[in-house]
Amino acid sequence: MRKLIRSKNFLIGSAFAVALAGLGVAQFALQGKAEAQGVMAPKFEVDPFWPKPLPNHEVLGMSIGVWVDNNDHIWMVHRDNTVERTILQLKNHQGECCQPAPPVLAFDEAGNNIHAWGGHVDGAPYQWPESNHGIFVDYKGNVWIGGNGGPDSQILKFTQDGKFLMQIGKSGARAKAGAAADANAEGARNGFAANSNDPDNFGRVAKIFVDPKANEAYIADGYLNHRVAVLDADTGKMKRWWGAYGQNPVDDTVQPRYTADGPHDRAHENFFRNPVHCADMSVDRLVYVCDRVNDRMQVFTPEGKFVKEMYYKTATLTDGSVWDIAFSKDPQQKYIFMADGVDEHVVIIDRQTLTPIYTFGDGGNSAGEFHGVHSIAIDSKGNLFTTETYGGRRIQKFVYKGMGPVTAMDEGVAWPKS
Amino acid sequence: MLFRIMRRQFSNALAALILLGLGLLSAGPAFAHNIPVDALIQAYMKPQGHVLQVLMRMPLKSYSDADYYHHANGSVDLTRADGPLRTAAQVALFENLKVYENGRQLPFPHIVAVRMALDSDRSFATYDQALAQLKAPPLAATGDIYWDQAKLDVWFEYPIQSDQSNFSIHAAFDRLALHETTALQFISPNGVTRAYDLPGDAGLVSMDPSWINAATRFVNMGFHHILEGIDHLLFLFALIIPFRRIRPLIPVVTAFTIAHSITLIASAYGYAPDAEWFPPLIEMLIAVSIVYMALENIVVLKPRHRWVITFFFGLVHGFGFSWVLRDSLQLAGSHVLLSLLSFNVGVELGQLFMLALFVPALNLLFRYVVPYRIGSIILSAIVAHQAWHWMEDRWDALSQFPMPSITPESLISTIPWLMALVVMAAALWAVSLIAKRWGEDAPPEIPEHAAE
Repeated sequence: MRKLIRSKNFLIGSAFAVALAGLGVAQFALQGKAEAQGVMAPKFEVDPFWPKPLPNHEVLGMSIGVWVDNNDHIWMVHRDNTVERTILQLKNHQGECCQPAPPVLAFDEAGNNIHAWGGHVDGAPYQWPESNHGIFVDYKGNVWIGGNGGPDSQILKFTQDGKFLMQIGKSGARAKAGAAADANAEGARNGFAANSNDPDNFGRVAKIFVDPKANEAYIADGYLNHRVAVLDADTGKMKRWWGAYGQNPVDDTVQPRYTADGPHDRAHENFFRNPVHCADMSVDRLVYVCDRVNDRMQVFTPEGKFVKEMYYKTATLTDGSVWDIAFSKDPQQKYIFMADGVDEHVVIIDRQTLTPIYTFGDGGNSAGEFHGVHSIAIDSKGNLFTTETYGGRRIQKFVYKGMGPVTAMDEGVAWPKS
Repeated sequence: MLFRIMRRQFSNALAALILLGLGLLSAGPAFAHNIPVDALIQAYMKPQGHVLQVLMRMPLKSYSDADYYHHANGSVDLTRADGPLRTAAQVALFENLKVYENGRQLPFPHIVAVRMALDSDRSFATYDQALAQLKAPPLAATGDIYWDQAKLDVWFEYPIQSDQSNFSIHAAFDRLALHETTALQFISPNGVTRAYDLPGDAGLVSMDPSWINAATRFVNMGFHHILEGIDHLLFLFALIIPFRRIRPLIPVVTAFTIAHSITLIASAYGYAPDAEWFPPLIEMLIAVSIVYMALENIVVLKPRHRWVITFFFGLVHGFGFSWVLRDSLQLAGSHVLLSLLSFNVGVELGQLFMLALFVPALNLLFRYVVPYRIGSIILSAIVAHQAWHWMEDRWDALSQFPMPSITPESLISTIPWLMALVVMAAALWAVSLIAKRWGEDAPPEIPEHAAE
């Protein structure tokens, strides 16, 4: 026996057995630790190689709208008139690089640019917005865009190839009496007045959402008006509208300046501030409205009855914290993904309780960072797409990596882990 | 004279240009025919009694030649869309689809229903929903629908002898988009559903291949795969340089075969890591395996225990073999394991074929051209040089991916592999003990003229 124990083969065999047993114990212990980690939530990683470079030395300006259509094509709109002068030498015939991409772009899942059109055209039967804002592709495949420039009081509908279908509202309709007729420039914004009870025109629309069941378009209206407007998606006829808490929209009251200290409640903030930045409907037919500068999201029935609200990071001043939302792709849409372009992250929110679970992202220009994360959309596989305004000026893809444990409220940049 | 020649040549060139221009003009419609970048054809096939029922959905943008009646705003007049939709179904789908029953091509199908569907419609998610959609009334004529943003749903049927027959299809839909994919589900009479993901023109695909058909296909695939895999061949070459006879090669080749079978089958059943860094890691390790073998040939005169290291490298190569099966295993029907084993058999046959070339060639080389030791060093150095470059390139590719972070989840998924490695190492050790007792673990036989 002693001879056996001292033999080399016995020791080697024992080492194998000990190694196996050790690994088994480690597996058991780690399993317990992983299960004990608590809250699970959808996790994402940036895809730094998406999309592929645009052709023809094209570059993006402020990118202020994104949507994913029914074929998982990713549509975005940017402001071609905001591309930095220093990178427009091709357009200005002073060098080889570059020129603005057409305002409306679409990419396939691989990141190939498959559509590129839009912009002001002399003699066109529509008035292209002074400042593009928001894009949506409806259940029939039609592309809608809004605009938040000085005179923009209209929304437009096109086919996916850029064929004009419909304009609702007229550019310049919000001009004050006596204001300059060509009050188009940024400096002339004061020449316009809100009218959130106008049944024909808008006031600088931020975003559009079409409800396929009722064939109604929900308009986040907007940067001048203070309402959600609902239209017949085929005729454009306005059917109803409402303001904060489902009341009649408030345009005239002199709104007190938003402060971090508040108080933030219905008694003191019973109005939408500009901009009303999103109005998206969930599968259970609730309309989620981004009241951006009030740092809150309000939830309504399709008829405009107030249901509930959430405030988020009420210490966020300037542009506010509630910019745009996308719903998760599970049948119940259990989560909301919200873009916060001041704190520069995406917030994962429990939709039922409206409780923030964690955030990813940070300020910066590297992959996965943000400078003005403005809009957010989701594809059928649960991948997120964001566009950035200000200095970001790009579209990014965040690959859905399944459910994972939440390790911190602020998980930082969603950098690839593998 | 020179002027006349020049003038004649000019006339000829002008005539050629005119002809070219006419040719281009006549080819105009073909140039103008736009197809989308990508398209997904969804299909269900269900044999029932004497009918093979097919439900198919296609984006209408893939067929732009149908003449629809339009409203003033360009939208389709849905009350008169039936004819153009039937034309689209016939030209785009039926004419590019051949269906066979027991090897006999079936005649043109009979259209039961066509329907235009909205871009957002999801009813082809299941067979029952798709059938219900095709039985439903047409889209309301009031909605503005643009044909190139809509989908064609079609229900058609083939007369068949029996729903128990063997069916196969050849779907050549590659012309419907630059990147076309057909997602086909075959629902057999016993309720088993088989899903196929066929890119463009995938050739003849059997819906329920017999075991002999599946085995033949995969043996063939494995045989060709090893012959086309230059890195696998170079590894094999480096492996056998010290061996002049077949007998001592048997444990080495057997170890390689068993090892790559283990990882190939494990990978096919989804046990391989699905991280993005894993394929480049395996590719790099394959290059490392070649470099190691070549360097060992140079440094060690009589390599012992080569079958042991070959076993571990075989595990790596098995993952490499598995990539080719990712898209092909759907063609195995109900014979998945048999097809995997057949693929392995094909790989082995390919290896034996190459061994039958390499061993005599090396024998001739060392007998008549260069002495064994010098020759093996020169050959191994050439192999190592090439593999080193691959290793560098593949390291560059691998280093694009950040190091995976160590989390409880990543460790949990790694530990089973470590346990499997320990078990395999223990098994190898046990085999080596037996081999030592039987005297089989001898170093390779060096030719008599090796010292020349």
